[in-house]
Amino acid sequence: MTWLSRQFSTRVLVLIPVAIAINIVLGYTVQTVLKLPIYLDSIGTILVGVLAGPIAGAATGAASNIIWQYAPGIGGGTIGPFAITAAVIGLLAGLWGYLAVYRPRPASGARLWLAVAVGVAIILLLASRIYNNPAYTDPNIGGYPDWVFVAAIGIAVVASLAVASFILIRRDAAGAWVAAAGALTGIVAAIVSAPIAAYVFGGVTGSGTDLIVAALRQGGADVYNASLGQGLFSDPIDKTITSFVVFIILASLSDRVLARFPLGERIVRAGKAA
Amino acid sequence: MGSGSARAGLPEFVQPLPIGPYRSLNPTTKGVIAVSEALIAFAVRGWTGPLAVLAALVLTAAVARLGRSLLPFLIATVPLTASILLVNTFLFPGATDRIVSIGPFTPTWTGLTAAVQATLRVVAFAMSVAVLVLTTRPDELVADLERRGAPRGVTFVIGATVRTIPRVVQRAREITEAQRARGLDTEGRVWRRVRGILPLAAPLVFGSLNEVEEQTMALEARAFSARGHRTPLRLFPDGAGQRGLRWSVALGTALVIVLSIAGTLAFLP
Repeated sequence: MTWLSRQFSTRVLVLIPVAIAINIVLGYTVQTVLKLPIYLDSIGTILVGVLAGPIAGAATGAASNIIWQYAPGIGGGTIGPFAITAAVIGLLAGLWGYLAVYRPRPASGARLWLAVAVGVAIILLLASRIYNNPAYTDPNIGGYPDWVFVAAIGIAVVASLAVASFILIRRDAAGAWVAAAGALTGIVAAIVSAPIAAYVFGGVTGSGTDLIVAALRQGGADVYNASLGQGLFSDPIDKTITSFVVFIILASLSDRVLARFPLGERIVRAGKAA
Repeated sequence: MGSGSARAGLPEFVQPLPIGPYRSLNPTTKGVIAVSEALIAFAVRGWTGPLAVLAALVLTAAVARLGRSLLPFLIATVPLTASILLVNTFLFPGATDRIVSIGPFTPTWTGLTAAVQATLRVVAFAMSVAVLVLTTRPDELVADLERRGAPRGVTFVIGATVRTIPRVVQRAREITEAQRARGLDTEGRVWRRVRGILPLAAPLVFGSLNEVEEQTMALEARAFSARGHRTPLRLFPDGAGQRGLRWSVALGTALVIVLSIAGTLAFLP
Protein backbone atom coordinates (compact mmCIF):
# COMPACT_ATOMS: atom_id res chain seq x y z
CA MET A 1 0.00 0.00 0.00
CA THR A 2 2.91 2.37 0.61
CA TRP A 3 3.85 1.95 -3.06
CA LEU A 4 0.32 3.00 -4.02
CA SER A 5 -0.15 5.81 -1.51
CA ARG A 6 3.22 7.32 -2.50
CA GLN A 7 1.82 7.75 -6.00
CA PHE A 8 -1.04 9.85 -4.62
CA SER A 9 0.77 12.25 -2.30
CA THR A 10 -0.70 15.74 -1.92
CA ARG A 11 1.82 17.06 -4.48
CA VAL A 12 0.73 14.45 -7.04
CA LEU A 13 -2.96 15.10 -6.31
CA VAL A 14 -2.35 18.79 -7.04
CA LEU A 15 -0.40 17.91 -10.18
CA ILE A 16 -3.17 15.70 -11.61
CA PRO A 17 -5.76 18.49 -12.22
CA VAL A 18 -3.03 20.65 -13.77
CA ALA A 19 -1.99 17.74 -15.99
CA ILE A 20 -5.59 17.10 -17.05
CA ALA A 21 -6.03 20.78 -17.91
CA ILE A 22 -2.80 20.65 -19.96
CA ASN A 23 -4.10 17.55 -21.80
CA ILE A 24 -7.32 19.34 -22.70
CA VAL A 25 -6.03 22.83 -23.47
CA LEU A 26 -2.65 22.25 -25.07
CA GLY A 27 -3.80 19.84 -27.79
CA TYR A 28 -6.66 22.16 -28.70
CA THR A 29 -4.36 25.20 -28.78
CA VAL A 30 -1.79 23.48 -31.02
CA GLN A 31 -4.50 22.25 -33.39
CA THR A 32 -6.25 25.62 -33.69
CA VAL A 33 -3.29 28.03 -33.53
CA LEU A 34 -0.66 26.04 -35.43
CA LYS A 35 -3.19 24.07 -37.51
CA LEU A 36 -1.20 20.85 -37.06
CA PRO A 37 -3.02 17.50 -37.34
CA ILE A 38 -1.66 16.08 -34.08
CA TYR A 39 -3.56 15.35 -30.88
CA LEU A 40 -0.94 16.16 -28.19
CA ASP A 41 -3.63 15.29 -25.67
CA SER A 42 -1.55 13.10 -23.41
CA ILE A 43 1.35 15.36 -22.37
CA GLY A 44 -0.13 15.77 -18.88
CA THR A 45 -0.88 12.05 -18.54
CA ILE A 46 2.67 11.05 -19.48
CA LEU A 47 4.07 13.76 -17.21
CA VAL A 48 2.17 12.38 -14.19
CA GLY A 49 3.03 8.77 -15.07
CA VAL A 50 6.73 9.53 -15.37
CA LEU A 51 6.84 11.68 -12.21
CA ALA A 52 4.49 9.69 -9.96
CA GLY A 53 4.10 6.12 -11.21
CA PRO A 54 1.86 3.88 -13.32
CA ILE A 55 -1.31 3.94 -11.22
CA ALA A 56 -1.24 7.73 -10.88
CA GLY A 57 -0.61 7.96 -14.64
CA ALA A 58 -3.48 5.60 -15.43
CA ALA A 59 -5.82 7.48 -13.09
CA THR A 60 -4.85 10.78 -14.71
CA GLY A 61 -5.46 9.43 -18.20
CA ALA A 62 -8.86 7.95 -17.38
CA ALA A 63 -9.98 10.99 -15.35
CA SER A 64 -8.79 13.29 -18.11
CA ASN A 65 -11.08 11.76 -20.73
CA ILE A 66 -14.07 11.38 -18.42
CA ILE A 67 -13.84 14.95 -17.11
CA TRP A 68 -13.21 16.24 -20.66
CA GLN A 69 -16.40 14.50 -21.73
CA TYR A 70 -18.52 15.82 -18.89
CA ALA A 71 -16.97 19.19 -17.94
CA PRO A 72 -19.25 22.19 -18.46
CA GLY A 73 -18.23 24.43 -21.34
CA ILE A 74 -15.85 21.94 -22.94
CA GLY A 75 -17.88 18.73 -22.55
CA GLY A 76 -19.27 16.66 -25.39
CA GLY A 77 -17.40 15.13 -28.29
CA THR A 78 -16.25 11.53 -28.32
CA ILE A 79 -13.34 11.49 -25.94
CA GLY A 80 -15.04 9.66 -23.02
CA PRO A 81 -15.01 6.08 -24.35
CA PHE A 82 -11.26 6.39 -25.04
CA ALA A 83 -10.61 6.72 -21.28
CA ILE A 84 -9.31 3.13 -21.36
CA THR A 85 -6.68 4.08 -23.95
CA ALA A 86 -5.66 7.13 -21.93
CA ALA A 87 -5.33 4.95 -18.81
CA VAL A 88 -3.05 2.52 -20.66
CA ILE A 89 -0.91 5.44 -21.89
CA GLY A 90 -0.56 6.63 -18.27
CA LEU A 91 0.26 3.11 -17.12
CA LEU A 92 3.01 2.79 -19.72
CA ALA A 93 4.35 6.25 -18.82
CA GLY A 94 4.70 5.05 -15.23
CA LEU A 95 6.66 2.06 -16.48
CA TRP A 96 8.95 4.37 -18.49
CA GLY A 97 9.35 6.44 -15.33
CA TYR A 98 10.48 3.40 -13.33
CA LEU A 99 12.88 2.45 -16.12
CA ALA A 100 14.33 6.00 -16.02
CA VAL A 101 13.72 6.42 -19.75
CA TYR A 102 13.37 10.20 -19.41
CA ARG A 103 16.65 10.72 -17.52
CA PRO A 104 19.08 12.86 -19.54
CA ARG A 105 22.09 10.82 -20.69
CA PRO A 106 24.81 13.21 -21.85
CA ALA A 107 27.02 11.37 -24.34
CA SER A 108 29.74 11.95 -26.88
CA GLY A 109 31.72 10.02 -29.48
CA ALA A 110 30.74 6.43 -30.24
CA ARG A 111 28.03 6.34 -27.54
CA LEU A 112 26.30 9.32 -29.10
CA TRP A 113 26.41 7.80 -32.59
CA LEU A 114 25.17 4.48 -31.22
CA ALA A 115 22.16 6.30 -29.78
CA VAL A 116 21.55 7.95 -33.16
CA ALA A 117 21.67 4.54 -34.85
CA VAL A 118 19.24 3.03 -32.31
CA GLY A 119 16.82 5.96 -32.66
CA VAL A 120 16.84 5.85 -36.45
CA ALA A 121 16.55 2.04 -36.46
CA ILE A 122 13.41 2.21 -34.29
CA ILE A 123 11.76 4.71 -36.65
CA LEU A 124 12.67 2.70 -39.75
CA LEU A 125 11.51 -0.54 -38.13
CA LEU A 126 8.11 1.02 -37.47
CA ALA A 127 7.91 2.33 -41.02
CA SER A 128 8.84 -1.07 -42.42
CA ARG A 129 6.01 -2.65 -40.43
CA ILE A 130 3.59 -0.34 -42.24
CA TYR A 131 5.28 -0.94 -45.60
CA ASN A 132 5.44 -4.73 -45.37
CA ASN A 133 2.51 -5.69 -43.15
CA PRO A 134 -0.09 -7.78 -45.03
CA ALA A 135 -2.84 -5.83 -43.23
CA TYR A 136 -1.83 -2.84 -45.34
CA THR A 137 -0.75 -4.51 -48.56
CA ASP A 138 -3.01 -7.54 -49.07
CA PRO A 139 -6.16 -6.47 -50.91
CA ASN A 140 -8.00 -9.43 -49.36
CA ILE A 141 -7.47 -8.02 -45.87
CA GLY A 142 -7.27 -4.29 -46.43
CA GLY A 143 -4.66 -2.48 -48.43
CA TYR A 144 -3.70 1.17 -48.56
CA PRO A 145 -3.69 3.12 -51.81
CA ASP A 146 -0.16 3.90 -53.09
CA TRP A 147 -0.04 7.44 -51.73
CA VAL A 148 -0.13 6.13 -48.17
CA PHE A 149 3.15 4.25 -48.72
CA VAL A 150 4.81 7.32 -50.17
CA ALA A 151 3.57 9.31 -47.16
CA ALA A 152 4.87 6.59 -44.78
CA ILE A 153 8.35 6.71 -46.33
CA GLY A 154 8.35 10.52 -46.26
CA ILE A 155 7.27 10.63 -42.61
CA ALA A 156 9.84 7.94 -41.66
CA VAL A 157 12.69 9.89 -43.28
CA VAL A 158 11.65 13.18 -41.63
CA ALA A 159 11.18 11.46 -38.25
CA SER A 160 14.58 9.73 -38.51
CA LEU A 161 16.28 13.03 -39.29
CA ALA A 162 14.43 14.74 -36.43
CA VAL A 163 15.41 12.07 -33.89
CA ALA A 164 19.04 12.01 -35.08
CA SER A 165 19.25 15.81 -34.97
CA PHE A 166 17.69 15.87 -31.50
CA ILE A 167 20.27 13.43 -30.14
CA LEU A 168 23.23 15.11 -31.85
CA ILE A 169 22.29 18.73 -31.10
CA ARG A 170 21.46 18.08 -27.44
CA ARG A 171 24.33 15.55 -27.21
CA ASP A 172 21.93 13.36 -25.23
CA ALA A 173 21.63 9.61 -25.82
CA ALA A 174 18.27 9.62 -24.02
CA GLY A 175 16.68 10.69 -27.32
CA ALA A 176 16.82 7.07 -28.55
CA TRP A 177 14.99 5.77 -25.47
CA VAL A 178 12.46 8.61 -25.61
CA ALA A 179 11.72 7.78 -29.27
CA ALA A 180 11.34 4.08 -28.42
CA ALA A 181 9.04 4.81 -25.46
CA GLY A 182 6.88 7.15 -27.54
CA ALA A 183 6.62 4.76 -30.47
CA LEU A 184 5.78 1.77 -28.24
CA THR A 185 3.18 3.82 -26.39
CA GLY A 186 1.66 4.78 -29.74
CA ILE A 187 1.48 1.18 -30.93
CA VAL A 188 -0.20 0.02 -27.70
CA ALA A 189 -2.58 3.02 -27.80
CA ALA A 190 -3.57 2.09 -31.37
CA ILE A 191 -4.22 -1.54 -30.42
CA VAL A 192 -6.37 -0.50 -27.43
CA SER A 193 -8.21 2.25 -29.35
CA ALA A 194 -9.16 0.20 -32.41
CA PRO A 195 -11.93 -1.93 -30.86
CA ILE A 196 -13.34 1.14 -29.07
CA ALA A 197 -13.49 3.20 -32.26
CA ALA A 198 -14.87 0.24 -34.22
CA TYR A 199 -17.52 -0.82 -31.73
CA VAL A 200 -18.61 2.56 -30.36
CA PHE A 201 -18.23 4.92 -33.32
CA GLY A 202 -18.35 2.69 -36.39
CA GLY A 203 -14.60 3.00 -36.88
CA VAL A 204 -14.24 6.76 -37.20
CA THR A 205 -13.55 9.59 -34.76
CA GLY A 206 -14.58 12.72 -36.65
CA SER A 207 -10.98 13.91 -37.06
CA GLY A 208 -8.68 14.21 -40.08
CA THR A 209 -7.36 10.69 -39.54
CA ASP A 210 -10.74 9.40 -40.77
CA LEU A 211 -9.28 9.84 -44.27
CA ILE A 212 -6.92 6.94 -43.54
CA VAL A 213 -9.87 4.87 -42.26
CA ALA A 214 -11.77 5.67 -45.47
CA ALA A 215 -8.73 4.68 -47.57
CA LEU A 216 -8.49 1.32 -45.81
CA ARG A 217 -12.22 0.70 -46.02
CA GLN A 218 -12.06 1.43 -49.74
CA GLY A 219 -9.39 -1.26 -49.94
CA GLY A 220 -11.81 -3.73 -48.37
CA ALA A 221 -10.72 -3.71 -44.72
CA ASP A 222 -13.42 -4.40 -42.13
CA VAL A 223 -14.30 -1.80 -39.48
CA TYR A 224 -11.84 -3.13 -36.88
CA ASN A 225 -8.86 -3.54 -39.22
CA ALA A 226 -9.45 -0.10 -40.75
CA SER A 227 -9.44 1.49 -37.27
CA LEU A 228 -6.34 -0.48 -36.28
CA GLY A 229 -4.56 0.48 -39.50
CA GLN A 230 -5.32 4.15 -38.94
CA GLY A 231 -4.19 3.97 -35.32
CA LEU A 232 -0.93 2.19 -36.14
CA PHE A 233 -0.22 4.89 -38.70
CA SER A 234 -0.98 8.03 -36.67
CA ASP A 235 -0.62 7.12 -32.98
CA PRO A 236 3.12 6.27 -32.98
CA ILE A 237 3.83 9.63 -34.68
CA ASP A 238 1.69 11.56 -32.20
CA LYS A 239 2.99 9.77 -29.11
CA THR A 240 6.62 10.04 -30.22
CA ILE A 241 6.24 13.83 -30.60
CA THR A 242 4.47 13.93 -27.21
CA SER A 243 7.24 11.85 -25.68
CA PHE A 244 9.90 14.32 -26.87
CA VAL A 245 7.87 17.32 -25.64
CA VAL A 246 7.61 15.70 -22.19
CA PHE A 247 11.35 14.94 -22.19
CA ILE A 248 12.19 18.57 -23.03
CA ILE A 249 9.83 19.82 -20.31
CA LEU A 250 11.37 17.48 -17.71
CA ALA A 251 14.89 18.37 -18.78
CA SER A 252 14.04 22.04 -18.34
CA LEU A 253 12.72 21.64 -14.79
CA SER A 254 15.12 22.01 -11.93
CA ASP A 255 16.30 18.87 -10.15
CA ARG A 256 14.97 20.38 -6.91
CA VAL A 257 11.42 20.39 -8.30
CA LEU A 258 11.71 16.95 -9.92
CA ALA A 259 13.13 15.26 -6.84
CA ARG A 260 10.01 16.11 -4.83
CA PHE A 261 7.89 13.72 -6.90
CA PRO A 262 7.79 9.96 -6.16
CA LEU A 263 9.86 9.00 -9.24
CA GLY A 264 11.80 12.25 -9.41
CA GLU A 265 15.09 10.62 -8.48
CA ARG A 266 14.84 8.47 -11.62
CA ILE A 267 14.67 11.57 -13.83
CA VAL A 268 17.37 13.81 -12.42
CA ARG A 269 20.76 13.42 -14.03
CA ALA A 270 22.86 10.51 -12.78
CA GLY A 271 24.95 11.50 -9.77
CA LYS A 272 22.70 14.47 -8.94
CA ALA A 273 19.86 12.60 -7.24
CA ALA A 274 18.80 14.10 -3.93
CA MET B 1 -22.69 27.13 -16.52
CA GLY B 2 -24.19 24.12 -14.84
CA SER B 3 -27.79 24.25 -13.73
CA GLY B 4 -28.37 27.66 -15.18
CA SER B 5 -29.85 28.89 -11.89
CA ALA B 6 -26.35 29.59 -10.49
CA ARG B 7 -25.70 33.24 -9.73
CA ALA B 8 -22.36 34.57 -10.85
CA GLY B 9 -20.11 35.86 -8.10
CA LEU B 10 -21.72 33.89 -5.28
CA PRO B 11 -19.63 31.22 -3.54
CA GLU B 12 -20.94 27.75 -4.29
CA PHE B 13 -22.05 27.10 -0.72
CA VAL B 14 -24.60 29.92 -0.83
CA GLN B 15 -25.86 29.19 -4.35
CA PRO B 16 -29.60 28.49 -4.35
CA LEU B 17 -30.51 24.84 -4.75
CA PRO B 18 -31.84 23.95 -8.22
CA ILE B 19 -35.60 23.86 -8.60
CA GLY B 20 -37.88 21.89 -10.92
CA PRO B 21 -38.86 18.21 -10.99
CA TYR B 22 -35.66 16.99 -12.72
CA ARG B 23 -33.14 19.67 -11.76
CA SER B 24 -33.92 19.27 -8.05
CA LEU B 25 -33.03 15.58 -8.08
CA ASN B 26 -29.98 14.64 -6.03
CA PRO B 27 -26.80 15.21 -8.13
CA THR B 28 -25.74 11.57 -7.73
CA THR B 29 -29.15 10.41 -8.98
CA LYS B 30 -28.73 12.53 -12.11
CA GLY B 31 -25.19 11.17 -12.54
CA VAL B 32 -26.38 7.55 -12.29
CA ILE B 33 -29.14 8.23 -14.84
CA ALA B 34 -26.67 9.86 -17.29
CA VAL B 35 -24.14 7.03 -17.05
CA SER B 36 -26.89 4.41 -17.45
CA GLU B 37 -28.23 6.16 -20.56
CA ALA B 38 -24.74 6.25 -22.09
CA LEU B 39 -24.13 2.57 -21.33
CA ILE B 40 -27.49 1.44 -22.76
CA ALA B 41 -27.03 3.56 -25.91
CA PHE B 42 -23.76 1.78 -26.67
CA ALA B 43 -24.35 -1.69 -25.24
CA VAL B 44 -27.77 -2.49 -26.70
CA ARG B 45 -27.10 -2.76 -30.42
CA GLY B 46 -29.54 -2.18 -33.24
CA TRP B 47 -32.25 0.49 -33.10
CA THR B 48 -33.75 -0.27 -29.69
CA GLY B 49 -30.94 0.92 -27.40
CA PRO B 50 -30.26 4.36 -28.88
CA LEU B 51 -33.93 5.09 -29.67
CA ALA B 52 -35.09 4.14 -26.15
CA VAL B 53 -32.38 6.34 -24.63
CA LEU B 54 -33.21 9.22 -26.99
CA ALA B 55 -36.90 8.98 -26.04
CA ALA B 56 -35.98 9.10 -22.34
CA LEU B 57 -33.67 12.07 -22.97
CA VAL B 58 -36.29 14.03 -24.92
CA LEU B 59 -38.70 13.54 -22.04
CA THR B 60 -36.07 14.54 -19.47
CA ALA B 61 -35.02 17.60 -21.48
CA ALA B 62 -38.63 18.70 -21.77
CA VAL B 63 -39.21 18.29 -18.03
CA ALA B 64 -35.97 20.16 -17.25
CA ARG B 65 -36.85 22.82 -19.87
CA LEU B 66 -33.46 22.60 -21.57
CA GLY B 67 -34.66 23.51 -25.07
CA ARG B 68 -32.10 25.39 -27.15
CA SER B 69 -29.29 24.94 -24.63
CA LEU B 70 -28.93 21.40 -26.03
CA LEU B 71 -28.04 22.73 -29.47
CA PRO B 72 -24.28 23.31 -28.91
CA PHE B 73 -23.94 19.71 -27.76
CA LEU B 74 -25.78 18.47 -30.85
CA ILE B 75 -23.67 20.67 -33.13
CA ALA B 76 -20.49 19.30 -31.50
CA THR B 77 -21.39 15.83 -32.80
CA VAL B 78 -21.65 16.97 -36.43
CA PRO B 79 -18.02 16.23 -37.52
CA LEU B 80 -18.23 12.72 -36.08
CA THR B 81 -21.73 11.91 -37.28
CA ALA B 82 -20.95 13.26 -40.77
CA SER B 83 -17.85 11.06 -40.89
CA ILE B 84 -19.80 8.03 -39.63
CA LEU B 85 -22.53 8.54 -42.25
CA LEU B 86 -20.12 9.08 -45.16
CA VAL B 87 -17.58 6.34 -44.38
CA ASN B 88 -20.15 3.68 -43.49
CA THR B 89 -22.73 4.45 -46.19
CA PHE B 90 -20.20 4.58 -49.03
CA LEU B 91 -17.48 2.22 -47.80
CA PHE B 92 -19.17 -0.58 -45.91
CA PRO B 93 -17.08 -3.74 -46.42
CA GLY B 94 -18.90 -6.63 -48.02
CA ALA B 95 -22.17 -4.78 -48.62
CA THR B 96 -23.65 -5.29 -52.09
CA ASP B 97 -27.21 -3.93 -51.76
CA ARG B 98 -26.47 -0.65 -53.50
CA ILE B 99 -28.90 2.24 -53.21
CA VAL B 100 -27.66 4.09 -56.29
CA SER B 101 -24.43 4.46 -58.30
CA ILE B 102 -22.86 7.92 -58.33
CA GLY B 103 -19.73 7.58 -60.47
CA PRO B 104 -17.21 5.56 -58.44
CA PHE B 105 -19.35 5.82 -55.28
CA THR B 106 -21.91 3.17 -54.39
CA PRO B 107 -23.83 3.79 -51.18
CA THR B 108 -25.43 0.65 -49.77
CA TRP B 109 -28.50 0.02 -47.64
CA THR B 110 -26.46 -2.12 -45.21
CA GLY B 111 -23.95 0.69 -44.82
CA LEU B 112 -26.65 3.31 -44.40
CA THR B 113 -28.40 1.24 -41.71
CA ALA B 114 -25.15 0.75 -39.78
CA ALA B 115 -24.32 4.45 -40.19
CA VAL B 116 -27.69 5.71 -38.93
CA GLN B 117 -27.58 3.33 -35.95
CA ALA B 118 -24.07 4.49 -35.03
CA THR B 119 -25.16 8.13 -35.46
CA LEU B 120 -28.13 7.62 -33.13
CA ARG B 121 -25.82 6.06 -30.54
CA VAL B 122 -23.46 9.06 -30.70
CA VAL B 123 -26.33 11.57 -30.49
CA ALA B 124 -27.90 9.68 -27.56
CA PHE B 125 -24.54 9.64 -25.76
CA ALA B 126 -23.96 13.36 -26.42
CA MET B 127 -27.45 14.21 -25.19
CA SER B 128 -26.98 12.18 -22.01
CA VAL B 129 -23.85 14.23 -21.33
CA ALA B 130 -25.67 17.47 -22.16
CA VAL B 131 -28.61 16.80 -19.84
CA LEU B 132 -26.27 16.04 -16.94
CA VAL B 133 -24.01 19.04 -17.58
CA LEU B 134 -26.92 21.45 -18.01
CA THR B 135 -28.81 20.32 -14.90
CA THR B 136 -26.01 19.60 -12.43
CA ARG B 137 -23.13 21.82 -11.32
CA PRO B 138 -19.86 19.91 -10.86
CA ASP B 139 -19.36 21.27 -7.33
CA GLU B 140 -22.78 19.92 -6.36
CA LEU B 141 -21.93 16.47 -7.66
CA VAL B 142 -18.52 16.53 -6.00
CA ALA B 143 -19.97 17.70 -2.65
CA ASP B 144 -22.60 14.98 -2.74
CA LEU B 145 -20.07 12.29 -3.64
CA GLU B 146 -17.84 13.39 -0.77
CA ARG B 147 -20.79 13.23 1.64
CA ARG B 148 -21.31 9.64 0.49
CA GLY B 149 -17.74 8.75 1.41
CA ALA B 150 -15.92 9.08 -1.91
CA PRO B 151 -12.15 9.38 -1.31
CA ARG B 152 -11.04 12.97 -0.75
CA GLY B 153 -8.39 12.65 -3.45
CA VAL B 154 -11.02 11.74 -6.06
CA THR B 155 -13.37 14.61 -5.21
CA PHE B 156 -10.44 17.04 -5.02
CA VAL B 157 -9.19 16.04 -8.47
CA ILE B 158 -12.64 16.43 -10.08
CA GLY B 159 -13.35 19.79 -8.42
CA ALA B 160 -9.86 21.18 -8.91
CA THR B 161 -9.79 20.15 -12.58
CA VAL B 162 -13.06 21.92 -13.35
CA ARG B 163 -11.71 25.07 -11.66
CA THR B 164 -8.27 24.80 -13.28
CA ILE B 165 -9.37 24.40 -16.91
CA PRO B 166 -10.71 27.97 -17.39
CA ARG B 167 -7.49 29.37 -15.86
CA VAL B 168 -5.31 27.30 -18.20
CA VAL B 169 -7.49 28.25 -21.20
CA GLN B 170 -7.00 31.93 -20.35
CA ARG B 171 -3.25 31.40 -19.90
CA ALA B 172 -3.01 29.58 -23.25
CA ARG B 173 -4.75 32.52 -24.91
CA GLU B 174 -2.32 35.01 -23.36
CA ILE B 175 0.71 32.89 -24.33
CA THR B 176 -0.54 32.55 -27.91
CA GLU B 177 -1.00 36.32 -28.24
CA ALA B 178 2.40 37.00 -26.65
CA GLN B 179 4.19 34.53 -28.93
CA ARG B 180 2.42 35.87 -32.00
CA ALA B 181 3.62 39.35 -31.02
CA ARG B 182 7.15 37.86 -30.90
CA GLY B 183 6.81 36.44 -34.42
CA LEU B 184 5.39 32.93 -33.89
CA ASP B 185 4.67 31.56 -37.36
CA THR B 186 1.14 30.15 -37.43
CA GLU B 187 0.56 30.25 -41.19
CA GLY B 188 3.86 29.12 -42.75
CA ARG B 189 5.14 25.71 -43.84
CA VAL B 190 4.50 22.65 -41.65
CA TRP B 191 8.09 22.56 -40.37
CA ARG B 192 7.92 26.18 -39.23
CA ARG B 193 4.60 25.52 -37.49
CA VAL B 194 6.00 22.38 -35.79
CA ARG B 195 8.73 24.61 -34.37
CA GLY B 196 5.95 26.62 -32.73
CA ILE B 197 4.89 23.70 -30.48
CA LEU B 198 7.52 24.33 -27.82
CA PRO B 199 7.04 28.13 -27.57
CA LEU B 200 3.37 27.43 -26.90
CA ALA B 201 3.72 24.31 -24.75
CA ALA B 202 6.67 25.24 -22.55
CA PRO B 203 5.32 28.46 -20.94
CA LEU B 204 1.91 26.88 -20.48
CA VAL B 205 3.31 23.80 -18.76
CA PHE B 206 5.94 25.60 -16.69
CA GLY B 207 3.47 28.26 -15.58
CA SER B 208 0.97 25.57 -14.55
CA LEU B 209 3.63 23.48 -12.78
CA ASN B 210 4.71 26.53 -10.77
CA GLU B 211 1.26 26.58 -9.21
CA VAL B 212 1.61 22.98 -8.06
CA GLU B 213 4.18 23.84 -5.39
CA GLU B 214 2.17 26.76 -4.02
CA GLN B 215 -1.08 24.80 -3.94
CA THR B 216 0.59 21.81 -2.29
CA MET B 217 1.82 23.97 0.57
CA ALA B 218 -1.53 25.74 0.87
CA LEU B 219 -3.40 22.43 1.05
CA GLU B 220 -1.00 20.89 3.55
CA ALA B 221 -1.30 24.02 5.72
CA ARG B 222 -5.07 23.36 5.75
CA ALA B 223 -4.70 19.71 6.85
CA PHE B 224 -5.61 18.24 3.48
CA SER B 225 -3.94 14.93 4.35
CA ALA B 226 -5.56 14.71 7.77
CA ARG B 227 -7.73 11.66 8.37
CA GLY B 228 -11.33 11.96 9.48
CA HIS B 229 -14.68 12.85 8.02
CA ARG B 230 -15.33 16.37 6.79
CA THR B 231 -18.66 17.98 7.64
CA PRO B 232 -20.46 18.90 4.42
CA LEU B 233 -21.56 22.54 4.14
CA ARG B 234 -24.39 21.83 1.72
CA LEU B 235 -26.83 18.97 1.77
CA PHE B 236 -28.83 17.97 -1.28
CA PRO B 237 -32.31 16.45 -1.16
CA ASP B 238 -32.25 12.69 -0.99
CA GLY B 239 -34.71 10.12 0.26
CA ALA B 240 -35.96 6.57 -0.05
CA GLY B 241 -37.64 7.37 -3.37
CA GLN B 242 -34.42 8.61 -4.95
CA ARG B 243 -32.38 5.78 -3.46
CA GLY B 244 -34.86 3.34 -4.98
CA LEU B 245 -34.67 5.15 -8.32
CA ARG B 246 -30.86 5.01 -8.33
CA TRP B 247 -30.73 1.31 -7.53
CA SER B 248 -33.48 0.49 -10.02
CA VAL B 249 -31.73 2.39 -12.80
CA ALA B 250 -28.31 0.90 -11.99
CA LEU B 251 -29.54 -2.70 -11.63
CA GLY B 252 -31.88 -2.36 -14.62
CA THR B 253 -29.00 -1.12 -16.77
CA ALA B 254 -26.75 -3.98 -15.64
CA LEU B 255 -29.51 -6.50 -16.40
CA VAL B 256 -30.20 -5.05 -19.86
CA ILE B 257 -26.48 -5.08 -20.73
CA VAL B 258 -26.06 -8.69 -19.55
CA LEU B 259 -29.14 -9.80 -21.53
CA SER B 260 -27.89 -7.91 -24.57
CA ILE B 261 -24.46 -9.53 -24.41
CA ALA B 262 -26.06 -12.97 -23.86
CA GLY B 263 -28.13 -12.46 -27.01
CA THR B 264 -31.48 -12.68 -25.18
CA LEU B 265 -32.51 -9.30 -26.62
CA ALA B 266 -31.79 -10.38 -30.19
CA PHE B 267 -35.54 -10.33 -30.97
CA LEU B 268 -35.52 -6.53 -30.61
CA PRO B 269 -35.02 -4.54 -33.82
